[in-house]
Amino acid sequence: MSAVTASIRNLADRRVAIAGLAAAFVAGVFALVSGGSTASAAKSPMATAPGNATSGTITWWASPISTSGPDVRKVWIAAFEKAYPHIKVTLISAPTDTDTNRATLTTQISGGAGPDVFMGDVIWPAQFGAHQLALPLSKYEPASYWSTFAPGLVAGATYKGQVYGAPLFEDQGFLYYRKDLLAKDHLAVPTTWEQLQTEAKEIQSKGQTKYGYVFEGADYEGATCDFMEFLTDAGGAVLNSTGTKSALTANGGALEALTFERELVSSGVSPTAESTFQEPQAMTAFQDGQAAFLRNWDYAYATSNASGSDVIGKVGVAPLPTFQGHSYPGYSNIGGWNLYVNPHSKNIAADLTFIKWMTGVQAQTIQATQFSQIPTITSVRDEAKVIKSNAVLAVVPKTRLVPRPAQTPDYPAVSQAIYQNVSAVISGQSSPKAALSNMNSGVNTALGGGGL
Amino acid sequence: MATVIAAPSAPGGPEGSVVEVIGRPDQHRKRMARLGWMFTTPALIFIGAVTLFPIGFAVLLSFENVNVTGSGFQLNGLTTANYSLVFGNSTWHYALAFTLGFTFVTVVIELVLGTMIALVLERLTRGRGWMMALLLIPWSLITVISAKLWAYIYDPTFGIADSILHGLGLGDPTILGTNAGAIIGMIIAEVWKTTPFVAIIVLAGLVMLPQEIYEAADVDGASGWTTFWRVTFPLLRPTLALAVLFRVLQAFGLFDLPFVLTQGGPGHATTSLAVLGYDAMFQNLEFGPGSAVATTTALLVVMGCMLFLKVFKAQVGEEDL
Repeated sequence: MSAVTASIRNLADRRVAIAGLAAAFVAGVFALVSGGSTASAAKSPMATAPGNATSGTITWWASPISTSGPDVRKVWIAAFEKAYPHIKVTLISAPTDTDTNRATLTTQISGGAGPDVFMGDVIWPAQFGAHQLALPLSKYEPASYWSTFAPGLVAGATYKGQVYGAPLFEDQGFLYYRKDLLAKDHLAVPTTWEQLQTEAKEIQSKGQTKYGYVFEGADYEGATCDFMEFLTDAGGAVLNSTGTKSALTANGGALEALTFERELVSSGVSPTAESTFQEPQAMTAFQDGQAAFLRNWDYAYATSNASGSDVIGKVGVAPLPTFQGHSYPGYSNIGGWNLYVNPHSKNIAADLTFIKWMTGVQAQTIQATQFSQIPTITSVRDEAKVIKSNAVLAVVPKTRLVPRPAQTPDYPAVSQAIYQNVSAVISGQSSPKAALSNMNSGVNTALGGGGL
Repeated sequence: MATVIAAPSAPGGPEGSVVEVIGRPDQHRKRMARLGWMFTTPALIFIGAVTLFPIGFAVLLSFENVNVTGSGFQLNGLTTANYSLVFGNSTWHYALAFTLGFTFVTVVIELVLGTMIALVLERLTRGRGWMMALLLIPWSLITVISAKLWAYIYDPTFGIADSILHGLGLGDPTILGTNAGAIIGMIIAEVWKTTPFVAIIVLAGLVMLPQEIYEAADVDGASGWTTFWRVTFPLLRPTLALAVLFRVLQAFGLFDLPFVLTQGGPGHATTSLAVLGYDAMFQNLEFGPGSAVATTTALLVVMGCMLFLKVFKAQVGEEDL
């Protein structure tokens, strides 16, 4: 509290110092406004060590996950309230666009308000940790809790030694293919990108599909995800080992990745509209039977087999391929969502009860068996019954994962430098070489805090 | 009471009564003014709270080393680094050029089209009301919705624009996927939406023009073309200036259209100053540099506004002569 009032007082002093900027009566208004927000910002997160609360109310901020059928969020809440009848969870439906979602949250939380618990992207921990927009959960939960999760997930939610998010569900890139067409043409599931390109061309030349391969290439976060996979397959990396500088030009990996992404479009294997494709456009092309191969997240399996799809029962899923000369499988980028706690939450004990239940066996089994999502805790992930009910999950143990370079709080600017140039290459506006040089300097500027 | 105090303070004995006579209405005016201030104070405080305070705060942030935390803004000292960062940033250079260029091109097109539509509407005797209602539909649509509609039209997979261009034998251009395509696409969407606004303003100006001048021009044997350039256009200048002023101010704050249609892409192609400021502040949490972008933009708008008001006044002055 004292820090807050001090900074407000500080602020007021400065405001007076820059005389002439605002009329005198603004000072009164200012005091009113800031005085109003002090109360809500007053809660000190470390004041109490919460145990296991069994009563209270929680607001939970989460964007829609399942797009058809029952709402997984409501199924979860109903089951939770059955287990803890005295804790009431109110769902606040968040924007589906991850960037809008984050912008709304950061505005609310830095203003001293916001939901108690929020579902946030796996790439948020550094930014939220650095700006104290989320509580360090590792201060409340012991190591034994964090060890229930599949390897790598907790590390991804860690910033400067503190875990900020509890992994709720994992996601990663998969290769979806038309098993009916591959069987008809006696083709194998591709293990290299070169093989995928050849097979796609063959399928296209027979007129079986319009496009060979659809993926995410638009000017947004998804293009960074797909690029990470090509880049790592080609032996490249975005940042150096200390995360302080771009490593994009350290070897030929980035150039190989960009050149291949461009080639997919210029050879006609991917549509010219690829530079505007986000997940929904790629998904639509594939489920309408227009594409032989698709790169997408775990939900694509369920969606391509749901009513309205033209390819029900014709879809296979496999790990992503890699470049020739590298060992199969290729890398899959890690996505997914964590549960975070707002530092302003009034009932952290109840928040933690909710989070622990959501990352427990019951909630994780619900999402794995009923919603084809990838559970985060090993006990559910390895269970034979769960694997049997989830075709995507059966592929998970065969995949290799690569995270995005989100360990820096400047990650949003780093990612912008990546996806804007990737998209420019895919659309043919920039040569791979020129784009790489832009990307490299853009990443370095972002890391140096010189971005806007 | 006030008059009693005022009267003795007036210099000179014999002139005292004169002063008192003049002073009374003066006092009355003062009292009325005080009353006026009293009545308007609540409104002024309200306007101050919702307008001046945020503006002042944004200006303050732009000169501060700001860190956003869970407990609000942490100000770590005055600095001009935000401005040097902004002025040296190539994206800001681009956004400035883009915003200026976009404003200029759209306003010119809207003015030409709007005037043409207004001239036609003025001559319409039947169905003018219907035509105006139809015309106002794009203007009355919320930009977020109309931008979404244009996004469907431009969609590369199932959009109608692609299919039309394809049918014309122009291949499969991905309109929003290339720099030029996205900019042109956005200009079309903007012109479609705001031309009606210009048309309505110009029409209002046209209707008010005195009919006798036209009759005189007709008697003098002026052609339609000459009448427009020598009579209609000069008389319409104040109206056109007003339309330009409104449009320029609005176009300079361009945000919702690119935010929904292109998110400022591809690359930075459609990043306006407002989009750049939003990204800096709300995506990257760089509130210092973001506020510097906002402040410089506001300053440019104010300067533009004053320039146009000056031009506008000159136009009206000419009219009075």
